[in-house]
Amino acid sequence: MNELRLPEELVDEMVEHCLAGRPNEACGLLAAAGGEIVKVFRMTNASASPVRYSLDAAEQLAAYKKIEAEGWELGGVYHSHTRTEAYPSPTDIRDAHEDVPYVIVSLAHDPPDVRAFRIVKESWMDEDGRVVEMPVVRGPLNP
Amino acid sequence: MSVQVRIPTIFRKFTDGTPVLELEPGTVADLVDQIDGKYPGFKEQVITEAGELHRFVNVYVNDEDARYLDKLDTKVADGDTVSLLPSVAGGAFRR
Repeated sequence: MNELRLPEELVDEMVEHCLAGRPNEACGLLAAAGGEIVKVFRMTNASASPVRYSLDAAEQLAAYKKIEAEGWELGGVYHSHTRTEAYPSPTDIRDAHEDVPYVIVSLAHDPPDVRAFRIVKESWMDEDGRVVEMPVVRGPLNP
Repeated sequence: MSVQVRIPTIFRKFTDGTPVLELEPGTVADLVDQIDGKYPGFKEQVITEAGELHRFVNVYVNDEDARYLDKLDTKVADGDTVSLLPSVAGGAFRR
């Protein structure tokens, strides 16, 4: 998947969650089916910080179970940057442990900027990775 | 009866894409050994050289975090489900 197909309604849902989470970063997971994102899982930022996020592991487990039960795939991870650009920080790169698109919502812009990236690593444990931007294609939700 | 182990996306490249494995009961460490026997190289993804669970991997036995049970010695019985989860984190922090 070279682009991230993200229905406008789900972009709005992520942005709303990120705005509501201020001053801390907000985070969550995305589920995909048929090549597009179909579901936003709003999750707790277990780090409760303006500059860090971590998914609550119990919520993550519940989301993975739901994704499996629905026959979806893990489609991405999203989080907000409250004051900086929608681009992976050194922390984002170091702590990226899923091989899925990472969506960043920058609240430094009005309207918020939403961009998606792959963080490519040889081993999932590597601290360094190559950042590859994926164009976000917004569109109406499929019926 | 057997134990089901759920493999997250990030580790499926080590299990030929298999998302769920059916294994024999034992401890969490025994299960990792069973997976490594079937898919050599798997163990080093989740257990450090010091023999501990990698700090970026969470293991749930049913709905309980093995870190708060007996870690790798946590017993897993027939019918239990074990889920491996990579930690998902990051943030704007610049160092």
